[in-house]
Amino acid sequence: MAEPASHTEILSEDQSPWGMDCQPFGCPHCHRVFLANPSHLGVPCPLCRQGQLEPQPTRMRVTEPEKLLPFKITQPQLQSIYEGFISGVWIKPEDFTVDNLFQRTIPLFWPLWLVDSDVNGHWQMEAGFDYQVESTKEVYVSGRWQSQRQIETQARWEPRLGEITHHVDNIAVPALEEHDNRHQMTGNYRLENAKNFDPNLVANAFLEVPNLLPEDAWPLAKPKVDQAASEICAKAADADHIRDFALQADYTKLHWTQFYLPLYTTCYKDDEGQPQILIVNGVTGRIQGPRLASQKRGLRIAGIIAIIAGVFLLLTLIGLLLTSLFPPAGIISVLLGLLGFGTGIAAIVPAIWPGQWNRKQDAPRITSRGV
Amino acid sequence: MSQKLSPNISWSPPEHYEPVESQVSGVVVYAPKVEKVEKDQAKTYKCPNCGANLAYDVSAGGVACEYCGYVAPVRSVHVGKTADEFEFTLENVSQAERGWGEQRQVLNCESCGASLSLPQGALTKTCPFCASNHVNVTTCTNEEIRPRFLIPFKVKPEQTQRLAADWLGKGWFHPDELRSNAALQRFVGIYLPFWTFDTNIHARWRAQVGYERTVRHYNAHEKRWETHTHIEWRWEDGNAHLTIDDYLISGSFPEHISRRILQGIYPFRMSDLVTYEPDYLAGWQAQAYEITLTEAWKNAKTEIREQARQACYDEIPTSHVRNFSMTADFADESWRYILLPVYLTTYKYEGKTFQMMVNGQTGTVAGQKPVAWWKVWLAIAGLLLPGTLLGLIGLPLVLLGGVGVIPIAFGVVLFIIGIILSILLYNKARQSEAR
Repeated sequence: MAEPASHTEILSEDQSPWGMDCQPFGCPHCHRVFLANPSHLGVPCPLCRQGQLEPQPTRMRVTEPEKLLPFKITQPQLQSIYEGFISGVWIKPEDFTVDNLFQRTIPLFWPLWLVDSDVNGHWQMEAGFDYQVESTKEVYVSGRWQSQRQIETQARWEPRLGEITHHVDNIAVPALEEHDNRHQMTGNYRLENAKNFDPNLVANAFLEVPNLLPEDAWPLAKPKVDQAASEICAKAADADHIRDFALQADYTKLHWTQFYLPLYTTCYKDDEGQPQILIVNGVTGRIQGPRLASQKRGLRIAGIIAIIAGVFLLLTLIGLLLTSLFPPAGIISVLLGLLGFGTGIAAIVPAIWPGQWNRKQDAPRITSRGV
Repeated sequence: MSQKLSPNISWSPPEHYEPVESQVSGVVVYAPKVEKVEKDQAKTYKCPNCGANLAYDVSAGGVACEYCGYVAPVRSVHVGKTADEFEFTLENVSQAERGWGEQRQVLNCESCGASLSLPQGALTKTCPFCASNHVNVTTCTNEEIRPRFLIPFKVKPEQTQRLAADWLGKGWFHPDELRSNAALQRFVGIYLPFWTFDTNIHARWRAQVGYERTVRHYNAHEKRWETHTHIEWRWEDGNAHLTIDDYLISGSFPEHISRRILQGIYPFRMSDLVTYEPDYLAGWQAQAYEITLTEAWKNAKTEIREQARQACYDEIPTSHVRNFSMTADFADESWRYILLPVYLTTYKYEGKTFQMMVNGQTGTVAGQKPVAWWKVWLAIAGLLLPGTLLGLIGLPLVLLGGVGVIPIAFGVVLFIIGIILSILLYNKARQSEAR
């Protein structure tokens, strides 16, 4: 498939597309490219937080995006989302606070392709038509039979075939190589709530540039176009179900546009000072990312508790030595000894809990695309 | 921009497909052609050679003329047990094919209420079910469901007389003149309506099952060890699966066709089922169903669920069962409406009516046979006599010093045996006459 050259162009680092005051910036660490306001030069990359954004040319479609989903999650809602996310992590890294997450929040739009196509060809499938069947359940209790009539729905399968000359609209197709990972983190969006693209809605946000061009995305788009065609054929045949759908068709008048989806990114630093990226779906508020505990703090707390335990045990020894002179001291020292022993056991918990907790963290993370 | 994935060659649907309505413009839909059933086509059976009436001939296996020997084979398909079945859809009875496909007359009996389908021009004026001549003949209304399959007659009409004579001659307690009864000449070949049902049953049962345990304990009062059988009850449950294949239910009222006699001529071999063709009924009689599909299925379920209950009981390892309950889920229920060949005759003997049937496929005979009761009473007397005589002989001997005890004892035993055999003989004789 060959796309006319005018649809994809090299945008230089000082060019602003679509009448917006934004330019292409790239991250030298993860190599992602964004469109952002020139004032964002030098800020950390919204998705890896390790590289500093710098101007760079990029190859992209110059046609204005068709649709976007505006942000629905507001700032106060973000606050409560972060609070809920942080709670439950007992021994957190010092940097893992609501305030830090909030201050480091960056709004970002990430792309999908929308493709329209004329489908001309022939198809065949097995069409399932629901019908109801009367069935029986006989129950024998206390020497008597009772009949229970049941209605079951079954499907009758029949072959259907034919021709299709139809236009298929707005099929959503990945525009990023890491689309699956991103979708896993954000969850689903309801695309039917989309609005027409309006530069005012993306004013302060970053726009991620697709790294999957249409000619590379077509193998991902074709199965979805075929799926849309199968639904049209099923509706034409008035079928309740279909299976074994096969289509041989020409796909003409392909029209690709961009669709932007909103999310927030933020981060906190772990014990090693590495940024841990969190993603918040800008519509549903679903937050995803690693919730790590701090092993360093855990060991520190364990140490303090161990010292306290040591003091108790020392007092126990002293008390035992004084028993011969002051007998009641023996009872006190036994109690102190028990306390010290218990405290010593308790010191183990903060020492091992962070490791156990972190080992269980299997939430998806932003893919690292380092140098 | 276009994506060419295949050459744009012209396409046409296969021959056996026809266009159907499409719900979306721009999409053309084809479906397999549906075979149209010709409804209400009048068929008359006249020989193309000599113009005489044609009838289905068992020997020839086709429609034949008895005058000039013309034979036309029946164009049917042998389907056997793979014959199509219908599901119990909510609307299938109303969508089932209607009518017999030929002009037929209906004989309505005013005595027993039976309805019988006759070929055009049939001269029968006697009800084959009750031998009454009080009948009237009307034109078939073509309203009933059309049968889809049948088993053609394999036994020739002339064979029925020999089969019936042999059967009537069996049994010593029947009148000797039965073998030469004129009714043997009057067998009527008739296709009787039947419903067949298939289903799978998954049954789950729960019950208290008792296990016998032998317990020994010491009776201190009587100073001895005693053994008691104690039953230990515990709740158990289980599953049973049953596959019902071609369960046969008669479509005739029991007042017209005796269930007992009908079951006497079973089984029919369903492997001989063929697709229904009116040619098979040319010159023969047939009865439309009197018991509807829903009623027949209800009767079948009543019998089948008892089989399921027995299957559950068979799972229980002991005979001590209480608080038994079960559910039987019927699945994959299907039915067929078929015609099966039967020779039927009704005859009178000493003022009573008796029915006799011959399986038109296998030749099995069953029916009612009158009983020469004097023979039965004589036989019973003969069975009781030895015991009675021994008792009578023993009684005076007892007075003579106790020697008679032995003959009395033997007499009692023989008398009891005689009673049992007499009851069995009496029941057998009653069943022989029963309908």
